[in-house]
Amino acid sequence: MSRSAKVTPVTLRRSRLNRPGAPLAMVTPFVVLFVIFFVAPLVYSVYTSFKSPLTGQLSGWANYRFLLHDTEYWQGLQRVVYFGVIQVTVMIVAAMALALFLDSPYCRGKRIFATIYFLPYAIPGVIAAIMWGFLFTPQLDSLLGLPRDFGLMNTTVNPLGSKLVLYAIMFIVTWEFTGYNMTIYLTSLSSIPAEILSAARIDGASEWQIARRIKIPLLRRTITFTLVLSIIGTLQLFNEPSVVSQITSLPIGYTPNLLIYTTAFSYGNIPLAAAMSVVLAIITILGSLAFFRIVRSREKERPARKARRSALAAAQSPGRTGAGVDVPEGSGVR
Amino acid sequence: MRSKARLRFGGTFGMAMLALIAAIVIVPLYWLVVASTKGNSTLFNSNTFVPGSFSALGSNISQLFTVQNGIFGQWLLNSVIYGFVTAALGTYLCTLTGYAVSMFRFRGRAALMSGVLGGLMVPSTVLIVPLFILERTMHLTDSYEGVILPMLVFPFGVYFMSIYIGEAVPSTLLEAARIDGAREFQIFNRIALPTVVPGMVTLFLISFIGTWNNYFLPLVLVSSTAKYPLTVGLSIWLGSVATPGVNQALYPQVILGSLVSTLPMLILFPFLQRYVARGLTVGALAGG
Repeated sequence: MSRSAKVTPVTLRRSRLNRPGAPLAMVTPFVVLFVIFFVAPLVYSVYTSFKSPLTGQLSGWANYRFLLHDTEYWQGLQRVVYFGVIQVTVMIVAAMALALFLDSPYCRGKRIFATIYFLPYAIPGVIAAIMWGFLFTPQLDSLLGLPRDFGLMNTTVNPLGSKLVLYAIMFIVTWEFTGYNMTIYLTSLSSIPAEILSAARIDGASEWQIARRIKIPLLRRTITFTLVLSIIGTLQLFNEPSVVSQITSLPIGYTPNLLIYTTAFSYGNIPLAAAMSVVLAIITILGSLAFFRIVRSREKERPARKARRSALAAAQSPGRTGAGVDVPEGSGVR
Repeated sequence: MRSKARLRFGGTFGMAMLALIAAIVIVPLYWLVVASTKGNSTLFNSNTFVPGSFSALGSNISQLFTVQNGIFGQWLLNSVIYGFVTAALGTYLCTLTGYAVSMFRFRGRAALMSGVLGGLMVPSTVLIVPLFILERTMHLTDSYEGVILPMLVFPFGVYFMSIYIGEAVPSTLLEAARIDGAREFQIFNRIALPTVVPGMVTLFLISFIGTWNNYFLPLVLVSSTAKYPLTVGLSIWLGSVATPGVNQALYPQVILGSLVSTLPMLILFPFLQRYVARGLTVGALAGG
């Protein structure tokens, strides 16, 4: 606590304020909304998940027992995990490569490329899926016929066919978010002190060495953050497959969230949908915590970086309360 | 010498890759513009990337705003309402809360901050079905408030503002005002607020884009067509296109509608980009 008192010197005890109740009055509107629209739904969904869909009475673990054997749900989950392993890897590697190249002296027109790549962030996922959905429709897109016209294949490519559609959705999501991640990396790269980089250059380090030995290690925390966000996003996949399913047919349980939506609003089985939501939330949170754990234990093997890390350690642990909530030093808004 | 040549080659290769990727980003947007200038039959019978005609564009525009009694205009208006109200109220709320959290010690502060950090971890889509159940019992579903109120709960915004304010607000200024006997809310509104305007712009933009782009939440919470935002309306149109029969004619409307719902942001984006980028990175540098 003493550390944060130094960071924010204005931090006051209530007795020194002109209105001692003011801080509480200031946070009250947010807290009220947070409780009603965040905490209450969480609690209520756990409660609902124990109700019987038929009688509305509490029925113990019945929904969860049913869910355990619901192959559609687990297949959907398996599908998004497979999706994530490929799509998130491709996207993060591409975003990193783009950011490093834009940040290197070889690049011309850094500004304009950075703007172009970031553009898809401003485009709704639904619209992205509509655009690519049309461009992936052979009747609409003459390019898809090219391999056949050149005799390379005997049919027109159909990215929305049952074999390729998962990869088509991966492509759409990658199109949407590569630039977003690249922008985060690029902003982080620009905060690396110039002295470090020029010192490395004077020592004769090549740009490749600088990227590998200095830039990437310094971005470790940022990369972890974007990876966790991407993992969370992938497990929640809904918008893109939902739109694509309007153009081509997808199984009802294509992703867990699609199955939850259909279960709740087409089948009207809200207790089962609530149980599905609870399980998905738990898997998501465990997944991202486990990922943080892995990254941190790998970092521990590098004692040289310990000093730098400890300054930010408090903010780094998301699950921890108390010590973890103080405004971290040097977390500059630049 | 040899390594220098290799470097130059690497640079050229890199630039070629940059251009290729830029093309992939732009192609669908270009196609959207081109396809908006085509009627239903030319859409299928002409070169995908060659523009149609101005007259087709004109008739598409007039149809877009008249088909189904001009419901598209209503959707556009709804998206603007959802976006502006959520972003404006949400930004003020997050700033107020972030200010209190970063400037004062008070009972419950630690609990509030762990709630906020916990909120960063829980994906909001997981809450949507329970949110629907809860709103139904409160008779909030299918209303503007029902969509806006849950989106005001933006843990990232509070987190972002608490960090931003901690760095941007000069403590001496507040002390002086306090000695002069100003009330805490006056100090916030008159002194603190003007110094954090850039941070608020960032948060407003992130919140506006997030709301404008949101699909799952309004899809679940809104049932009457007249209250849909653009994203939900267009996907419903797309679904009705896929059903063979009379509705076939809606293809050009979906395409032009998509263009209309992205164009304003695309034009403004190069100017807004720096604000947004800075905000997104705060989470990465300081938290996660």
